[in-house]
Amino acid sequence: MSSSLVWYIREFARAEWIKKFLFAKTAPLVTPTHFRGFPEPTGKTCTHALFCMMACPAPGAIEVVHAGDGWMPKIHKGHCIRCGLCVEVCPNGVLKSGRIRETMGREGTSLLFSFRIAIDKDLCTGCGNCCTACPVNKQADAQMGAGGHSSNDDVIMRVQEGDIVVIHEDKCTGCKTCEVSCPNGAIRIARILEGYQQPVQEGLQ
Amino acid sequence: MNILQRIKNTVRSRSIHVAYVDVGSCNGCDIEVLACLAPRYDIEQYGIYVHNNPREADVLLVIGAYTPGWEEKLAMVWEKIPAPKAAITIGNCPISGCLFDRKGSFVDPPVKKHIPIAAEVPGCPPRPTEILQAIMSVRDSVFANWEEEHP
Ligand code: SF4
Ligand code: SF4
Ligand code: SF4
Ligand code: SF4
Repeated sequence: MSSSLVWYIREFARAEWIKKFLFAKTAPLVTPTHFRGFPEPTGKTCTHALFCMMACPAPGAIEVVHAGDGWMPKIHKGHCIRCGLCVEVCPNGVLKSGRIRETMGREGTSLLFSFRIAIDKDLCTGCGNCCTACPVNKQADAQMGAGGHSSNDDVIMRVQEGDIVVIHEDKCTGCKTCEVSCPNGAIRIARILEGYQQPVQEGLQ
Repeated sequence: MNILQRIKNTVRSRSIHVAYVDVGSCNGCDIEVLACLAPRYDIEQYGIYVHNNPREADVLLVIGAYTPGWEEKLAMVWEKIPAPKAAITIGNCPISGCLFDRKGSFVDPPVKKHIPIAAEVPGCPPRPTEILQAIMSVRDSVFANWEEEHP
């Protein structure tokens, strides 16, 4: 009896087993580097294109705010769902998250925004509010006054003979300032987000 | 602090019992809490046990955007937990309502206006490591020095 007890203790009470039993832990709590976390700044300069805010599916998750002399996107935790769309859509590569940027570079994918202007001619009264409110018009023709008339051909849209005419749809930045300034809800801006992939070269598939 | 208090502190911070309530979630965060129990993350190696009985619990995990059905009931669950206790919210839902907080919906986030919250874990859903880190941080801030702060 006593010899078997001694045998038991000698067999099972080995120092390294006891140490393991008391102190062994599985791998410590680390988040792997490839995890797509909250977007972080890469250090590149934000040009205030606001594509991140337009693409973000979660209300209130991202805001482009003043940072020093320039702009910087700010992520609101608790709203952000870490989808990574803002990282993909930024034309300047301001944000990074997990392996998104590397994957995009490897596979040649990109997300591109384009904007379409739709004006309901039945609702539009030709007041020109949208033309004077548009910040791109302001840049192109600083002289444009109330009424939206302009002799400048660089503007996005202007009023000609009482009717609104869109000349340069491609210059629209999708800010929707015109939408809120229209008294009749006649102008609508569509933000179109399209995914592209460069064709893979022969032999690299 | 006498030796008895020291022992109490140590024991309390080494044996955390967790109860969780889902106050209206999509089930995504519940799955991540479940993943904490699996061997991959193994919550029990840190002395954290899931019992789901508020009477036995130290930590309450709150998941979800607070639907009207939880009016008063969540506070009732919270009051049933004996002190020392802490509540942790998991995911975006208890902070902002996430995808449920839209015009015309009945959810009433944030949860912290209904019961006191010690820690919030953002993410939709958060990783199990982030959930574990939150529980470990309240363990250190609430349970490990409870005796000094509540003599
Ligand atoms: S990761 Fe997704 S949810 Fe988060 S800020 Fe970017 S676009 Fe919005
Ligand atoms: S969306 Fe902005 S840039 Fe485009 S037309 Fe309207 S005001 Fe001009
Ligand atoms: S603001 Fe509206 S009503 Fe006025 S010109 Fe523009 S689209 Fe027409
Ligand atoms: S935070 Fe996201 S994953 Fe978690 S319950 Fe809410 S919607 Fe679901």
